[in-house]
Amino acid sequence: MARPNLELQIARSPVLRYGLAVLSVSVAFGASLLLERFHFRNVADPLFLLAIAIAVWYAGTGPAILAVVLSGMTDTYFFIEPIYSIYITRADVPHFVIFVLFASLLTGFAAVRRRVERDLVQARDDLQIEVAERTQQASLLNLTHDTIFVRDMSDVITYWNRGAQELYGWTDKEAIGRHSQELLQTIFPTPLEDIRAELLRTNRWEGELKKTKAEGTQVVVASRWSLRRDDQERPLAILETNNDITERKRREEEIQGLNRELAKRSTDLESINKELEAFAYSISHDLRAPLRHMAGYTELLQKHASAVVDEKSNRYMAMILESAKRMGNLIDDLLAFSRIGRAETQKTLVSLAQLVREALAEVRQDTEGRNIAWRISALPDFYGDRSMLRLVLVNLISNAIKFTRTRPQAEIEIGCADGNRDELIVFVRDNGVGFDMKYVNKLFGVFQRLHPSDAFEGTGIGLATVQRIVHRHGGKVWAEGLVDSGATFYFSAPRAEGHLWKP
Amino acid sequence: METMSKLGRILMVEDDPKDVELTLTALEEYNLANEVIVTRDGEQALDYLYCRGEYQTRSRDNPAVMLLDLKLPKVDGLEVLKQIKSEGELRMIPVVVLTSSKEEKDMVASYKLGVNAYVVKPVDFHEFVNAIKELGVFWAVINEPPPGSVRK
Repeated sequence: MARPNLELQIARSPVLRYGLAVLSVSVAFGASLLLERFHFRNVADPLFLLAIAIAVWYAGTGPAILAVVLSGMTDTYFFIEPIYSIYITRADVPHFVIFVLFASLLTGFAAVRRRVERDLVQARDDLQIEVAERTQQASLLNLTHDTIFVRDMSDVITYWNRGAQELYGWTDKEAIGRHSQELLQTIFPTPLEDIRAELLRTNRWEGELKKTKAEGTQVVVASRWSLRRDDQERPLAILETNNDITERKRREEEIQGLNRELAKRSTDLESINKELEAFAYSISHDLRAPLRHMAGYTELLQKHASAVVDEKSNRYMAMILESAKRMGNLIDDLLAFSRIGRAETQKTLVSLAQLVREALAEVRQDTEGRNIAWRISALPDFYGDRSMLRLVLVNLISNAIKFTRTRPQAEIEIGCADGNRDELIVFVRDNGVGFDMKYVNKLFGVFQRLHPSDAFEGTGIGLATVQRIVHRHGGKVWAEGLVDSGATFYFSAPRAEGHLWKP
Repeated sequence: METMSKLGRILMVEDDPKDVELTLTALEEYNLANEVIVTRDGEQALDYLYCRGEYQTRSRDNPAVMLLDLKLPKVDGLEVLKQIKSEGELRMIPVVVLTSSKEEKDMVASYKLGVNAYVVKPVDFHEFVNAIKELGVFWAVINEPPPGSVRK
């Protein structure tokens, strides 16, 4: 925009300014003398007024007053009768007074005009600085990825940063001037009047809002409102900052859903566990009593009647007793098995080598009269439930003893296989009757047996117990075997933090 | 038998008649059954101990030992145990829990209440008879009962 450079109209130096006044009056004087020589009349006054006007315009009030004085004096001396005297005739007084008044008025007007002009310049400069600052601030606001916009008290958008454009898809040109609630189809959690009341009371409001993007999808935002007031404390505008929390909300809801599900399952599990406990308790009391009675009365019968009944009847009674005893063992094993599932594991640092020694002591009875070559390598320490791990070893070792019974020279090896950094693997290997890998999946099932009970006694619960304990320790069990060529049973346990490896 | 003369009286609390019969048979086998009081539930046992109800007129002396089943009608064994072990006089009566259950929580609860022995009835009759015999011999013969118990 082409604007006159107002500043240059006033010379800065006082010498130049007053010089200009003297010069313009001198030029007017010279021109008047020249024009009078050519018999033009009454030219001096307008020319002096012109000189004063120039001085006022270009040099300011002080030089203008000087110009008025100089013009007045020159005028009375050279152009008003009597000439070459500063005196004037009475008849010329009004003329002179009006001239001076007019000149003064001109100076006054010019002074007012200049003051107005100076103020204007000042105001323009201030405005320019403010515009520059604001532009800078606005571009700073554009740098943030937060969504920021400003709306006036009737919710018309007046500022819209780039974050807002990125989130909602409307450009600043599209958004500014629009009604914000309409543009974004805002859904409020509480009535808008309440929110406004809070905003007016505290100058701020925070909450979650649902808004709709330009392309139509809904977003959940964490919204913060700040109220701006003018000097008289009147509400002026609302600055709103939005953060897109749609994804977070979705995840929160997902987590809440999962938590609810988990809580429900946990409750279910708890009640199932309670039922199981009651069931086991009932078995342990109620199932054993009739069994005891069967065995008791059969034995009494045996005692009373063995002399009078035949051998066959005696054998039948013996079978009843044997079955009762076997059922007693089954119940005991089953209860022990269910107890492992229910008991709390109490993990401490356990020396496997020590546990093996204890397990061997426990099964010593079974090794009497047997020729067994034991090979026990170095075993690590790790965290686990001591009594449960001991049960694992007792089961595996007594199995090895049992299934090598047919060997003249039994070999049983207990050692540690190469695990990885995260888990350790312990194995028990024997040269016994082994098993067909076809049935490996049946090995660890409850009451699953691969041998007839008259060949190898047992309830078929030992390996199921082993598996349950190892699973409760976060490990795995597996086995390798060949019919008539021995078997190896492995179990792994995670070497989690604190599982020390001490070979 | 020499010990007969100083045989202690046994109070048995057992609801199952077969268990009662088998126990008595076992005790008989070793001549320990001549002074056995059988009560069939917890309430009756307490009536006996407090000399009330049908036992109002019984002799005031206490049994040398009490064989207590846990699963009982009306008042269960743990409750009976709790009551008598919190009672000045009755507290002195030795109590042996004789139960089918191997449940750890029953065992812990019994010992916490101050039981003197905890025996799980073996399924095998031989073992059962042996257990009963040893209990009878120990508590009714060998053990010196607290003052106020009856000895014959």
